[in-house]
Amino acid sequence: MFQGWEMFFKALVGFLTPRVIFDVLWATQLGIIVGMLPGLTATMGVALLTTLTFKMAASNAIIILICMYIGAIYGGSRSAILLNIPGTPANAATCVDGFPLAKQGLAGKAIGIATTGSFLGSVIGMLALAFFTPMIGSIALQFRSIEFFWFSIFGIIICGNLTAPKDPIKGWIAGFIGLLVAMIGMEGIYAYERFSFGNKDLAGGIALIPAMVGAFGFAEIIGVMRYAQYEVVKTKIERVWPRLKDITMYWKTIIRSGIVGTIIGAIPGVGEDTAAWVSYDMAKRASKEKEKYGKGSIEGLMAAETGNNACVPGAIIPVLTLAVPGSAPAAVLLGAMLIHGVRPGPLIMLEFPSFISEVVAMVFLATVAMFVLGISMVRTLVKVLMVPRQKLMPIVFVLCLVGSFAIQARVFDIIVMVVFGILGFLMREMEYPMAPMVLGIVLGDILDKNLRRALVLTDGSFLPFFTRPISLVIIGLTVFVIVSRAAWFKAATTWVKGGIKGLFRKKVAAG
Amino acid sequence: MPKADFVTAIVLFLFGITVAALSYSMPKMEHLGAHPSSVPGLVPGALGVAIALFSIPIFVRALKNRGYRLGLSGKVLLGFLKAESTRRILVTVLVSIVYALVLLGRMHFIAATSIYIFAFVMFFEYKPREPLAGQWKTVLFALILALVTAVAVFIAFQYGFLVNLP
Repeated sequence: MFQGWEMFFKALVGFLTPRVIFDVLWATQLGIIVGMLPGLTATMGVALLTTLTFKMAASNAIIILICMYIGAIYGGSRSAILLNIPGTPANAATCVDGFPLAKQGLAGKAIGIATTGSFLGSVIGMLALAFFTPMIGSIALQFRSIEFFWFSIFGIIICGNLTAPKDPIKGWIAGFIGLLVAMIGMEGIYAYERFSFGNKDLAGGIALIPAMVGAFGFAEIIGVMRYAQYEVVKTKIERVWPRLKDITMYWKTIIRSGIVGTIIGAIPGVGEDTAAWVSYDMAKRASKEKEKYGKGSIEGLMAAETGNNACVPGAIIPVLTLAVPGSAPAAVLLGAMLIHGVRPGPLIMLEFPSFISEVVAMVFLATVAMFVLGISMVRTLVKVLMVPRQKLMPIVFVLCLVGSFAIQARVFDIIVMVVFGILGFLMREMEYPMAPMVLGIVLGDILDKNLRRALVLTDGSFLPFFTRPISLVIIGLTVFVIVSRAAWFKAATTWVKGGIKGLFRKKVAAG
Repeated sequence: MPKADFVTAIVLFLFGITVAALSYSMPKMEHLGAHPSSVPGLVPGALGVAIALFSIPIFVRALKNRGYRLGLSGKVLLGFLKAESTRRILVTVLVSIVYALVLLGRMHFIAATSIYIFAFVMFFEYKPREPLAGQWKTVLFALILALVTAVAVFIAFQYGFLVNLP
């Protein structure tokens, strides 16, 4: 425990150099701007910065990416509050109460609450990252091929379930398509080229970053350009600093949303948008002022923003311990770590013992920078929202293109970006979520190698897949996630709950 | 959505079956003494089957909601193609594809990027039915934006980040 704190402070002091502080400030500010602009998401921001930082030292590059990630998730609240358009999907829940507050002439107050909520959410997530990563890491050390196989399946199932609440089957299909995309190219056991059809570029496989830049960047550009809307910021921004009373009054909501956001972040692939909605929904259910929700509730705004920013450090936990991303931007972060020679996963505690503390220190610096920059320069930055989309989007596409090309200098990656952009747009139109597909691309190789390796070790028998204790826990969770959406399961749960309540009532009556 | 689900379920089913068939035809690596459970086609084949199976409930639900009544007629298609949003989507996709897959590599990066940004802004802002005299500011701004962005991106990546741009 104390050793962990010592390593954290050592890492923090190590980062306190003029160069790193400068990097933290510009990357966080850029993140806030990226987040503010509808059409530019956190995923795209992190992906583009990955290409710009890949010649830097690993720690410098990763701190810049974390600052971009935290800044962008927070920055999206600005356009959500001022324009009723979430800057990133993570800020959709922010619109519900943020925009009504702005319409009431309280835009400054709303921005202050969103900034404080994001800051506190990040701090709660950061504490969880510091405390639970080593613990989960030691459990992950016991994972063998069978557990990795089941965990991959669990990741796809739960991610599909949570990101496609209307129809989980569509989420699962998106996840399986992602797994299939990862099968393209040379496989890792016999070096056989799968689905390459004699094409050398396809034999090299589909790289994660161009695919993600397409799915989250180009697809977003198409979606944004679809309608000729000209939203203008009309609201005046007054005092931004939040009153202490507004924060202390909702301390329970802040802690609850922080914990919920962190847990959702740690679930593979699910991400900040789900974290914000679940935090918002839970805050509304528990609230004493439900009637204010949707009409400009400070509590609702606080819950949404605390939840989505708490998700960021939460999403980094599985990246570090299992090499599985907790969200789409975390998937790019994972890719960036691999590019820089850091190998996240169960062995990280042995191979890079100080890295977890360094990441915690990076999150801390990014969180502080986000708060300072979020509270200051509000009126100046809001002017960015006045840039017309038809002038901004072609520039974004040029950056998407160059970003996809820059890492491997392959023209094929530009084609991948374009194809995934169109595919991503069509999938969204058909209500197939993108997050499980991205998770599938990351998990495909893990699933493939570990299933085949495990089957060789068990001589083709599936029995050991169902007898190991950790496997059984993961299978149980997977089955629970699947059946929890079934009508018969919901009816059975209600019936059991009613029975238990009835039993107590009878006892009370008898007593 | 039932109509779209009806069509996508059929496409996904056929896709899943095709993937499974292609996976089955992959070599079994017997000449290397491979274990039958470690063949390259095992996982993609299983994924293909899973996608085909998952598409069935979507298909059944679409059938129940009468998604098979596609109502595709010349009039409907024409209306779809004439819609403002369709036009905007097609222009965005086509102009971007022409830039990424045709212009780049055939001419200098600065030229290709300038043409793309200029064309993009003009497609959305220039009104061909109105006289040019009243829109010269739009044209000039698009030109300046295109040139400045292309040169800035080129210098930043080519000399700042040492990326050999296409």
